[in-house]
Amino acid sequence: MRTTRNERGQGGETAVTRAVEKRKIVIALGLALGALFLALFARGTGPQAAQAASHREAPLISLDPTADITDFFMFRDYAPGEQDKVVLIMDVIPGEEPSSGPNYWNFDPNVLYRFSVDNNGDGKADDVELEFRFKTEPIRGIARQFTLPFSYVGGAGGLPPVTALDGPGSEGLGLRQRYSVTLVHGRHRTQVANGLIAVPSNAGPRTMPDYASLAAQGTYDLGNGIKVFAGQREDPFYIDLGGVFDTLNLRRVPPIETPAEDANDTVSPFGTDMLSGFNVHSIAIELPASMLNGDTGATTIGAYASTSRPHVEVDGDGHGGFRQVQRLANPLVNEAIIGTVDKDRWNALEPEQESRFEDYYLNPRLALALELVFGVPAAKTNRTDLRDLLLKYQPSDRRLSELLRLNLLVPPTPFADQKRMTVLADTPDPAGWPNGRRPKDDVTDIAIRVVGGPNYVAARASDGVNTDDAALSGSFPFLATPFDGRNRHHDNP
Amino acid sequence: MTKQTRLVLAGTAAALVAAVSLLGGALRGSGGSADAVPVKASVAGESFSAGFSGGDTATFIRRLVAQLRAHPGDPKSYTLLGLAYQQRARETGNPAYYTKSEQALDRSRKLAPTDSTTAGALGSLALARHRFREALVFGRESVRLAPYTARNYGVVGDALIELGRYPEAFRTFDHMSSLRPDLSSYSRVSYARELLGRPDAAKQAMTLALDAAGGQPEPTAWVETQLGKLAWSRGRIGEAESHYRTALSVFPGYVYALEPLALVQEAQGRHRTALTLARRAAEALPLPQTVATLGDLYARRGRLAAAQQQYALVDVIRRLLAANGVRTDLEIAQFDADHGVRLGRALAAARKARRARPSIDGDDVLAWALERNGRCAKALPYSRRALRLDTHDALKYFHRGMIERCLGHESRSWFVKAVQLNPHFSLLWSPLARRYAS
Repeated sequence: MRTTRNERGQGGETAVTRAVEKRKIVIALGLALGALFLALFARGTGPQAAQAASHREAPLISLDPTADITDFFMFRDYAPGEQDKVVLIMDVIPGEEPSSGPNYWNFDPNVLYRFSVDNNGDGKADDVELEFRFKTEPIRGIARQFTLPFSYVGGAGGLPPVTALDGPGSEGLGLRQRYSVTLVHGRHRTQVANGLIAVPSNAGPRTMPDYASLAAQGTYDLGNGIKVFAGQREDPFYIDLGGVFDTLNLRRVPPIETPAEDANDTVSPFGTDMLSGFNVHSIAIELPASMLNGDTGATTIGAYASTSRPHVEVDGDGHGGFRQVQRLANPLVNEAIIGTVDKDRWNALEPEQESRFEDYYLNPRLALALELVFGVPAAKTNRTDLRDLLLKYQPSDRRLSELLRLNLLVPPTPFADQKRMTVLADTPDPAGWPNGRRPKDDVTDIAIRVVGGPNYVAARASDGVNTDDAALSGSFPFLATPFDGRNRHHDNP
Repeated sequence: MTKQTRLVLAGTAAALVAAVSLLGGALRGSGGSADAVPVKASVAGESFSAGFSGGDTATFIRRLVAQLRAHPGDPKSYTLLGLAYQQRARETGNPAYYTKSEQALDRSRKLAPTDSTTAGALGSLALARHRFREALVFGRESVRLAPYTARNYGVVGDALIELGRYPEAFRTFDHMSSLRPDLSSYSRVSYARELLGRPDAAKQAMTLALDAAGGQPEPTAWVETQLGKLAWSRGRIGEAESHYRTALSVFPGYVYALEPLALVQEAQGRHRTALTLARRAAEALPLPQTVATLGDLYARRGRLAAAQQQYALVDVIRRLLAANGVRTDLEIAQFDADHGVRLGRALAAARKARRARPSIDGDDVLAWALERNGRCAKALPYSRRALRLDTHDALKYFHRGMIERCLGHESRSWFVKAVQLNPHFSLLWSPLARRYAS
C-alpha cells in the first residue's frame, strides 16, 4: 500500500516535473541553438534598402563572410621529412557555393588576417604573429580587353584556358588578388613576402583544365623552411548540420556508434554531411617550429586566428586602426559555448581575457541541451575539466586564455594512421585535437563526448558523420582541391 | 481590424499578390516560386545552400513554423520568425508581414520577456513602421539586455537619427563601429557623414562597406545602390549609373537599383528606357516611392490619366501600409505638397509627421507644406532647421529657395546651389529650379 501511495505520489510529481522539464527543454534548446540559428539566418539574409521608407533603412542583419573564420588548424607537419615544422591554417567564407560565378569569392582587401602565437606560456598570444593582407588587382587580361562580366574566362572560342597564375596562360584571370605576409616578432615587423598570388576559385574544367597544377603554383616556398598558400580549398569540416539544427534531431536514436562504426574513419554510419560540396578560402603557412618557439624554447605553444577590420568614426576621415571582429582557437567555442549576447564582445577581446566568460565553460549549455534531448545525464555544471582543457596550459595556470595549444614534443602521426577521434580513439592518437587540430579530426564527435561527459564518451555519441566528402592531402597545404563550379551537384540528401 | 481596413486589404490583395510573385522571382534569382503565403515555400529551398546561404526566407519561415508546431513554447523560434517576417516584408513590399512579425514577437515576449534579440527585433519592426520613439525604447532595452551586441546599437542610432537627436545618434554609431566594424556599422557611419555634408568621407566609409559585403549578391547590390545615390546626390550621373548597373549585374532585377536607374536614364534623356525601368520597379515592388516615380514620369510626358492612375495607387498602398501599422504621415505630406493636391491635408500630415519625427526631414517637409500653403514666414525657421547639419541636399536647398522667394528675399543663390549640386534632383521640381537659377 505504502509503495503504491509512494508510486502515485511520485507519479504526480513526475507529471509536474515532466511539465517543468519540458519547458526547460524548450528554453535550454532555445538558448543553446538560438545562437546557431541566428548565425545561419544572418548568413542567409542580405540587407535591404528602405522601401516603405523615406528614411535610410539600414541592413536588418548584416553578413561578414570574408571575415568569418570557419576553422583554424595548427599541427606539426606529418609529411615525411617535414616534421620539425608547424602548420597553421585558417579557413574563411562559410558555405562557398562552387558555382557562385560570375562573381566568385575573394579575400577582403580591408581585412587583416592574422595568426597569433603565445610561446612563453603567459596566455598572451603576442609573441609571434603572422599577418596576411590582400590586394585586388584591376580587371586584367581577356576580361578587360572584352569588358566581360566574368572573373575567369578561357578554353573556348579561341581563348586560352587558365593554366598559370601569372604570365602566359593567365590571360583568363580577369580578377586576381595578390598578398603580402608579414612576420611580427614583438616590435619587429618583417615582410617576408609580397606580391604573392592567391589561387582563384575553381571555375570548371573548360576555364581551368588542370586546376590542381594551377593551384600548386600558389604554394610558395619562401626559403628558410617557410611555405605559404592562399586561395580556394574544399571545406574540410564535416557535420550533420541539418540534424544538429533540427533540435539535435540526429539520424539514429540514440545517436551512438557501434565500436566498429566508431573505429571506421572512412564511412559515415548514419549522418549526412551537410557541408559536403562546399568550398572555403584558406590561408595556410608552414614554418620551422624554431621560428615560433625559438626565443623561449617553449615545448607547448598556444595560438589563435583572427580577422580585423578598419575602425571608422563619424568625425574621422581615414580609419583609426584595426578592430578584431572575429577570433578562433578551439573549434565550436564560438558556436556552442559562448552565449549570443556576448559574441560581439567575445570576438573583439583578446583570448587572455577569457576569465570574463568562465561561466560559459563551467556550465556549458550544450551539455544541458544534450541531456534534455537524449535523456542521458550529462556533465552540466562545475566543468573545471572543460575550462582547464580549453583555457589553460596546466591546471595551476591562473590566467584563462582561449588558445589552441600544441605540445611540440608529441610526434606527428603519419597521415595514413591518423584517427578522427584522436585521444578518444580505441588506439589513441595523441597528435590531434585538443593537442592542436588537424583537418581530419572529428571535432563534432569529440566535442559532443567531451562536453556531454563520461556517459557520452562511453556510449560513443556521434552525429553519425565520420568523414569529409573529399580526400585530404598528406602534404602542404593539406586541404583538398575545391569542387569545381561546373560539375558539383547538390543532389545528395 | 476595422471593417474599412479589411475592405482596403481585400481591394488591393489581387494587385499585391501579383506584384509579390513578380518580385519573388526577381529577388531570389533562380528557382522557387514566391508566394504571398509565407508557409508555402519552394522545394528548391530544401538544400542547405538554398535554405540558408541562398537567403530563401520563405523556406526559413516554413522551418520555423514546423519547429513551433513541435515546440509551441519556444520563444527563440518566435523571435526568429518575427525577424524572418520582417525580411519577407522587405523582399515583397507586402506590409502584412509586419503584422505577422508583430504577432510572432509578441508571443516570444510573453514566453521570454527579457530576451535581447526579441527587444531588438521589436525595435527593427518599429523602425520599419516609422515608429521611431517606440524603436528607441526597444533599442535601448535590447542594449541594456545585451550591451555588447553591436546590432542593437544600430536600432538605437537609427531611431535617434529620425528623432533628430544627431549628436547622440553619431556617438551611438561610433560605439557600434568600435564594437564591430562591418557592413552595418560602416554604412551607418557613411550615412552620418552624408548628413553632415561630407560626401567624400561618406563615400569612403561606404566603400569599406562594399568590401565587407564580400561580393555577396544582395548586400553588394544594396551597398552599390547606396554608393549610386551618394553620387547622384552630388550630380555625378555617370558614376551613379555605373553603381546601379553593377548592383543589377550582381543581383539581376534588384528593384532598389531599378528605380534610381530610371531617374538616371531620364536625366540622360533616355525617356523610353526610364519609363520601362520605372514600370518594372513599380510592378515588382509597389511602394509609394516607386509608384509615385512612375506617375511623375508619366506626368512629365503629359500622360496625365496614366499618372493619375499611379497616384491613386499610391493612396491605396499607403492605406494598406497604415492598416499594418506603418506610419506614413511624412510621405503623405511630401506627396500631397509636391502634387498640389489636398494642401490642407498635406499640412496637417506634415505637422503630425514632424511631431513624431523631428529630424531634418520632418523639418523640411513641414517647411515645404507651409510654403505650399502660402505660409512662408512660418516655413522659414523649419527650413533653417532642415539645413542645420549642413547636409548637401538639393531638394532642401530648393525648398529653401522657394520659401525665400515667396517672402520676397534673395532666393536665386539657393536655386543655384540646388542645381549645381544636382541638376536632376527632382522629376517635378528640377525644371523650375533651373529656371529660377538662371
